[in-house]
Amino acid sequence: MPDFIREHLTSQLFVSLHVMAIVIHIILGTVTLCIYAERKISAYIQDRIGPNRTGFDFGLPFLGFLKGFLGLGQALADGLKFFLKEDYRPTNVDKILFTLAPAIVIIPAFIGFMILPWGGVWDMPLMNLPLIGEIGGERVYVTGAYVNVGVIYLVAVASLGAYGITLGGWASNNKYSFLGGLRATAQMISYEIPLGLALLATLLVAGTFMPEGIVRWQVENGWLILAMPLAAVLFYVCTLAESNRAPFDNAEAEQELVGGYHTEYSSMRFALFFLAEYAHLVTGAAFFALFFLGGYHLPGPGIGHLTSPDTTTTLAVIAKFLVLFTKACLLVLLAMLIRWSLPRMRYDQIMQLGWQSMIPMGIVLLVVVSCMIYLDWISLPALLAANVAVFGVTIFIEPLLARLFGRATANRRIHLYGSRFMPVPGTPVITSPTNPMAVEDRPVQGTVSTS
Amino acid sequence: MAIRDDEVVHIRPAPMSGLEAVYLPEIIKGFGTTLRHMFTSWGQGRTSRSLQYPEQRREHYKPEDGGLEPSNFRGFHRLNRDEAGRVKCVACMMCPTICPANCIHIEAAESPWDDREKYPAKFEIDELRCIFCGMCEEACPVDAIELTPEYDIVALSRQEMIFDKNKLLHMYDITIDKKPM
Repeated sequence: MPDFIREHLTSQLFVSLHVMAIVIHIILGTVTLCIYAERKISAYIQDRIGPNRTGFDFGLPFLGFLKGFLGLGQALADGLKFFLKEDYRPTNVDKILFTLAPAIVIIPAFIGFMILPWGGVWDMPLMNLPLIGEIGGERVYVTGAYVNVGVIYLVAVASLGAYGITLGGWASNNKYSFLGGLRATAQMISYEIPLGLALLATLLVAGTFMPEGIVRWQVENGWLILAMPLAAVLFYVCTLAESNRAPFDNAEAEQELVGGYHTEYSSMRFALFFLAEYAHLVTGAAFFALFFLGGYHLPGPGIGHLTSPDTTTTLAVIAKFLVLFTKACLLVLLAMLIRWSLPRMRYDQIMQLGWQSMIPMGIVLLVVVSCMIYLDWISLPALLAANVAVFGVTIFIEPLLARLFGRATANRRIHLYGSRFMPVPGTPVITSPTNPMAVEDRPVQGTVSTS
Repeated sequence: MAIRDDEVVHIRPAPMSGLEAVYLPEIIKGFGTTLRHMFTSWGQGRTSRSLQYPEQRREHYKPEDGGLEPSNFRGFHRLNRDEAGRVKCVACMMCPTICPANCIHIEAAESPWDDREKYPAKFEIDELRCIFCGMCEEACPVDAIELTPEYDIVALSRQEMIFDKNKLLHMYDITIDKKPM
């Protein structure tokens, strides 16, 4: 066995496996803390306090010193509660798909992290480990998988989450879940396009599909959010829509669809859906940080050199990881701010925003950026000016187009036979309920015990 | 009552200006509002509206500060006693008749006392069914049933939450200081 390992285990594979193992635990921890942060931030935004009593004492007297702790035990308490809940499955559901759906949701959220360049390049020191033997002494990439088409892999994986949501809604055999699943599908398809367009325009500028190369371009020429602010906004809005976050959480709109696609789920299966939403959020934030906020690079007098792609010491790897992780966390906080500031958009508004504003803007931006690259005008101010111009022109043209072709009318009313709200003209409108139980004036007598 | 035409107020919001139609500047303004609330209420700051409930209670505050006014708070019921300590109720059946939740159950019997004909041999209120509307209190001709400022009574079974006559008279004993008759 050691021979087999020594034969196949390169330094790169060794590091990749370790990065995967470490990152997945860090992400899981972050997701748990995200739930706590979400509750706390939403509470402060709404002038409340939020969880502030749940500690780690589990009600045991000898652990009393762990009481309180700012409510940090809330995430653990939530998790324990989910484990102890009955794992209920309604009759007449599609058993295989019902069980599979939460896994299909959460797996893409976690495997998306694997291409992120967490620590850049590392000059791995020569190590002598038991069982494995000598390893290292060469240059390795501190990432889960060093693939040339990293960005394409991301786009492919990120859209897989919609399958889980759709299958969960479909397998539940419940019309509300099904509607939630349908909405998720339509939304995902609509917002995949502007996401791809914004990404494509950015990649044209960076000139590479490799995450490492995108960071290098940004270190040399300045962060891409300064060069491509419009693409950044489009990308960020699309990641929110992809992870089904407010204001795009139509798939689980409580007021309309009970619970949306996870209505029939309970216990850990529901918890998986819940975690997947946050995992998608963290993934989206990490990728936004990679593409637009300079990845693991932080400009500044000492730290700029430490986190540049050319520094390959162990300290640099740790610093790069911390920088990228902090950027992702800050973006997650921004998403929470958005969630508690904006109301949920109506379904037709989401479609209108996607198809009438974001996709045209993305196409125009892509064409303009392609032309600029053909003419070799790829300095940062030129790109910035182009972005602002595209945004301004689109805003200017949009009302003109609306005047020319007319605006889509929302809430089109349809006359329906038997409807009390839009009856077919000439038909009688019956407002009293037809069920005799409903006209019963008082509840059943004798509910109070007379013994 | 029908709504007259002159009572209807038509609200026609002004059409959005060009900048508002872009949404993004307005959204960023909204973030400002959200952040202001977040930082002013941080850690029970200036704008925080919360009470640390089991330690701080609404009873500790004046009504004008958002406290509880015992004289008109609609909490759990009590059955008042008269000067002799007897139940005041005359079993006239007004409250079970008016009760919209149908949670009051009275069995009347001939009164052992000379000053009235009937008294409740059994008086039960299902507090879990009750909607605390206070109509029993309004209907009572002798002010026998009243709602108290007590609101945090719990039990381990539904049966315990059906208050019988003894329990309701006990409620009178423990709340007479807070809410005099």
